[in-house]
Amino acid sequence: MIMETKHSIKPRRKRNRRPPVRSRGRTGRMNNGLARKGHRLARPIGRKGTAGSSSLQRLKSKALAAGVRAAAESKGAGQGSPHLQECFREWAQAERIDGMPYAAILTAALAYRRGYAEAAGLSSTWIPLPLKGSASAIVTASNEEKTLPAVIAELRKLPLKEIIVVLNGCNDGSFTAVDRDPRITRLSFPERLGHDVGRAIGAATATGDILLFLDGDLSVAAEDLAAFLLAVDRGEDLALNDLSPYLPPFSQQDEVTRCKAFLNLALGRADLKANSLTAVPNAMSRRALRTMGTAALIVPPKAQALALARGLKASAPISVDVIRKNRIRNSNSGAGNAVAKMIIGDHLEALGEVMKTEGVRLRFTTLGRSQIAKMRNAR
Amino acid sequence: MVKKRKPRPRLNRKPIQRKPTLPRLVNHPDPLVSIIIPAMNERATLAGVLREAGRVHPLSETIVVANGSTDGTAELAEACGARVIRTPEPLGHDVGRRVGAEAARGQALLFVDADMVIPARELRPYVEAVLSGVDLALNGYSGPAGRKEAHPVVLAKHVLNGLLQRSDLRGASLTAVPHAISRKGAETVGLEALEVPPLALARAVLLGLNVQAVHTVPVGKLNPARGRVRDKGKRVDPLTALVAGDHLEAIHWLLRQQGPRGGYSDLGRQRGKVR
Repeated sequence: MIMETKHSIKPRRKRNRRPPVRSRGRTGRMNNGLARKGHRLARPIGRKGTAGSSSLQRLKSKALAAGVRAAAESKGAGQGSPHLQECFREWAQAERIDGMPYAAILTAALAYRRGYAEAAGLSSTWIPLPLKGSASAIVTASNEEKTLPAVIAELRKLPLKEIIVVLNGCNDGSFTAVDRDPRITRLSFPERLGHDVGRAIGAATATGDILLFLDGDLSVAAEDLAAFLLAVDRGEDLALNDLSPYLPPFSQQDEVTRCKAFLNLALGRADLKANSLTAVPNAMSRRALRTMGTAALIVPPKAQALALARGLKASAPISVDVIRKNRIRNSNSGAGNAVAKMIIGDHLEALGEVMKTEGVRLRFTTLGRSQIAKMRNAR
Repeated sequence: MVKKRKPRPRLNRKPIQRKPTLPRLVNHPDPLVSIIIPAMNERATLAGVLREAGRVHPLSETIVVANGSTDGTAELAEACGARVIRTPEPLGHDVGRRVGAEAARGQALLFVDADMVIPARELRPYVEAVLSGVDLALNGYSGPAGRKEAHPVVLAKHVLNGLLQRSDLRGASLTAVPHAISRKGAETVGLEALEVPPLALARAVLLGLNVQAVHTVPVGKLNPARGRVRDKGKRVDPLTALVAGDHLEAIHWLLRQQGPRGGYSDLGRQRGKVR
């Protein structure tokens, strides 16, 4: 009997160790595509029991009604995603929605869209967002014909100014997998550019105030991408993907994760944990791009280090699980693989770069050795 | 009710508490092992540390680097028979190790701290490892790593070992005592590098010395927390930034030796394609 109980406890404990992603905040209870397994969409809304969800309900019905009104007022002519976006932006500004938490904004946006689509008789999948600036998305892909259409489809739901697809070293149908659309720019390079080079090339071409980066091998829901756009639009310079919920305890973490955490720590941003520009999706402001220079993006940790050293605003506003869904290749699996080594090299390059201007000890400045001894051991 | 005490002859009288006898150290004239103990105001624990030091190896000398001490640390060490190096001013964290190493005459240098008593049987494995060919015999203690985020110093140690392609050492570091260094090892890394222990470790690994975590003594529990200062409302030990910064100095040296990427490939990035 005793043995049996022991056995029944063990696996349960193991399960509990997994991050409680779903139960976090009140996001788990919301629908409208907000609750998805493995996703934390935003910070919890409201601290007290039902008060938060009831105010969210009110917001939802208000947005729905506003959406219906917007569609009815325009009467057919000019209805479509730009009109929806413009109407929602004006309404959100008037109702002061833009200052709310991401989850609330998304709830309002989706309800508004539903009202608009129903009234206009359209089956709309667009997500309007209260953005002040314009946004560009940069997708890098190398032989991703299978996943690329899904990635683009999610991006097209968002109010983006442009979608830049940087294809390199493709010998499959990746090029034709990207549909023709005035919003989409295709840049194609016959040879492989190497890791992250496509991002820098895409960023050099982009004209938006917000730059959203993602990979062609992994489609991320538009609702999740919206949070990155909103974060930068609200004043963040770097919006990183918060991978902390998916990490194992420190003793089981890999070299790359530890390097990421150490770089942030050395630059006085321990609060960023192991979150890094190396992970997609991420977004940055044009100011960030100007500060660190387009070429720095070739080595994402270097770009991040420069941004942090220059005091730009950085945060990790949202979690998208890219670890579990990432395509496993020979080169990126297992300890000590080639890509992991490259990323470790990136972090060394990043540290070396900021040491040039910030000093070797970076933010670990302290008293001299003998002064510390005096402080700790003097009688 | 007050109980009246009856006068009674004391038969089982406890022996009078005498002062504990001081350990008697014998410094060998031509030692094989030098035990180096930097000490600043450590009278409380020093006698215990010296007693264990005397039991480590028959052919040994014990060197106490008494720096900045005002509590009679040096006198106590002398009374026990240790070789004493005195400096009136505090030498600074880890600097005493270099000063002690300069005076040492043995082939194996064992470093211990004066503020924690570690039994001799826990110290011998380091000495034995060095006497049988290891150049840096480290304490295998890696620090607590059960949570998602580790202490800055624990993180720094793991990262440095990883960058040196020695993940097998996990969080073992020359920063932690006890550890032992061969004479050849000390001369190869340079005695002055011992003042910045992570730098000495990086040099040892890159210069091809035999570096091993030979035995584990959980010093984290023995280390007293002290000297905390307030920083942004939190009490932090200034030593944390010092030790973490030491690791950056080691990384800086690595970059100078191995190039801007520390010898790691970037898998053929076409950097010239970006304007």
